[in-house]
Amino acid sequence: MMKLWCGQIVSVVRLEMKKTFFSKRGLWVYLLAFAPVVLYMVHSVYATRQRQHLAQLAAEHPISRAALNGIKTGLSCDQVVAKLGEPYWQRTRTHRRGNEKRSYVFYKYTDGKRDDTYHFENDKLTWIQRRGRDTLPKSQLIFATSFQFYFLRLAVFFGCVGIFVNLFRGEMLDKSLHFYMLTPMRREVLLAGKYLAGLLATTVIFTSSTALQWWAMLWQFERGVIVDFLAGPGWTQFGAYLSVTALACVGYGSIFLAVGLLFRNPIIPTAVVLLWESANPFLPPLLKKTSMIYYLQSLCPVTAPPDKNMPPLINLLISPTEPATTVTALTCIVLLTLLVLVLASRLARRLEINYSTD
Amino acid sequence: MKNDLITLDNVSRFYGEVLGVNRVTLSLPPGITSLVGPNGAGKTTLMNLMTGLIRPTRGRIRVLGLSPTQSHRLFGLVGYATQFDAFPKGLSGFQFIYSFLRLFGHSNAECKRLANETIEQVGLSDAAWRKVAGYSKGMRQRIRLAQALAHDPRVLILDEPLNGLDPLIRAETINLFRRYATEGRHVLVSSHVLHEVDMISDQVVLMSGGYVVAEGQIQDVRSEIQERPVKILIHCKQPSMLASKAFEQDHIVEAQLITEGSGVLIKTRDPDRFYRLLNHLALNGIDIEGVTPADDNVNSVYDYLIGGEEKVSP
Repeated sequence: MMKLWCGQIVSVVRLEMKKTFFSKRGLWVYLLAFAPVVLYMVHSVYATRQRQHLAQLAAEHPISRAALNGIKTGLSCDQVVAKLGEPYWQRTRTHRRGNEKRSYVFYKYTDGKRDDTYHFENDKLTWIQRRGRDTLPKSQLIFATSFQFYFLRLAVFFGCVGIFVNLFRGEMLDKSLHFYMLTPMRREVLLAGKYLAGLLATTVIFTSSTALQWWAMLWQFERGVIVDFLAGPGWTQFGAYLSVTALACVGYGSIFLAVGLLFRNPIIPTAVVLLWESANPFLPPLLKKTSMIYYLQSLCPVTAPPDKNMPPLINLLISPTEPATTVTALTCIVLLTLLVLVLASRLARRLEINYSTD
Repeated sequence: MKNDLITLDNVSRFYGEVLGVNRVTLSLPPGITSLVGPNGAGKTTLMNLMTGLIRPTRGRIRVLGLSPTQSHRLFGLVGYATQFDAFPKGLSGFQFIYSFLRLFGHSNAECKRLANETIEQVGLSDAAWRKVAGYSKGMRQRIRLAQALAHDPRVLILDEPLNGLDPLIRAETINLFRRYATEGRHVLVSSHVLHEVDMISDQVVLMSGGYVVAEGQIQDVRSEIQERPVKILIHCKQPSMLASKAFEQDHIVEAQLITEGSGVLIKTRDPDRFYRLLNHLALNGIDIEGVTPADDNVNSVYDYLIGGEEKVSP
């Protein structure tokens, strides 16, 4: 019997593959998944070119880091030029407000590793903007933030909505679900096959995206830096991000498979789940543990830093909670998924083909 | 023996407050059974109930002894071609049949063989590798039929299977049904094209407004309607004389001369006595060329039963 069920599951997965991977309806899932890859890539290309550009400038007009650090606010343009020489880039602007005339001058200097911009107002240095080269720890934090706040909460979440909801609901709309129901296959087996097909599609799409994002993030750094990082925590972090992505597909997939079975219009339940997951930081510790994102974030290897620009009032509402241990997080995700799948299989068993009302 | 039957015991199905079928009790033996009725009569609902696509609000259904809820066992024995004109996207005719055959647990080679054989059976071999989305209506009808036939079921349930088929394919399809029926299988066909099922059915189930209004062999159903006079068309060389002789009998309700083809249409309350009279007249010099029951078909029976307009098919 198990052999028959496995064969049926494989056949369902095969039938669903084309729909889950190549449907025109699902094109936006790829956009959601791979948009961050493009952003990381563009940033890496820009950072690399900028680094080469600054190195070239520094070679043409050598300036020491000590000389750059010696520049303080209050100096005039001439004093700065006297200490550092002519800037490699400058711009002058004049603003007139009534009878008052103000002139703004911007100078840029570099020692090849840091890019400083000096803001002069009426020939007086008022602000120094120092932009250092990207470092790996800084990039790791950026990756952690974008992974947890964009990729998991939005891209994987909505990707799972797009793929898993359509496994049943899409076929009801297309009026082709009954073909499965006319075969000697248990509804539970059909559900398992469709779930695995959706899981395969989302896992392949989103873990590929995670891997490419990771690669695109590292791409701008020198080979030595990358090798050192990978020899240290790099591969572990990489594996953890891939696993968290796959687990997000496992968890959210089960939820949206059930949503597709239970609701004719999945928009409202999706909005409710999204709200619940988004409200997670503000929930009391006990309720936090009833959301998928809590366990997924607990498994992330780097903690995303809090937003510095967050209004203090909202900051006050955030309730800090200890992340779950790896074992707890894994157990809870698996248990929640199994629970939802059992409920979904009961729904599937009672499912009727009544397209006119769907 | 009991397991050869499709039985419905006091089956009702409501869609909210809308009646699908009500209090249907049937026991269908093997052979070709036609479900006949106008749109909304409940034919498709009844077929969907038999195949477990929907569940009855009340009542009990057994198909060869199996409940339709046991789909994993039922569909090894049952093939159902629905009326839904939709298919999984992107599949060719062969892929469609093959892919769903895989769900029956057959081996790869067996599925290919069965798919090819069935596609040939419905005359789609040339179009087997074309996408189903590009098929004509008749071809889609045939590929749906192939999907129902492919696993060689004991019960074939076909919702309006002859719709959109050209005459040649229609004749071949009817022959296929007959062959299945002679092999002792069930072929349950729904139709609103009455003359088709009249020709092919072993028994009919007449439906109207969700109720079964009559069931059985067409002639038996007809004979049950004693209050309705039977129409008989007689072709003869002396129709006026035949009409006048007929009118002497008290069971004759009407005699209508048919100018075209030289004949007379008789309405009688007692067909047995009328046939005896015909024999007597034939022996006494009236040259009778042919006798045809004019309303012994599903159309007439159906019209009588649901109170529609009477039609004569001479």
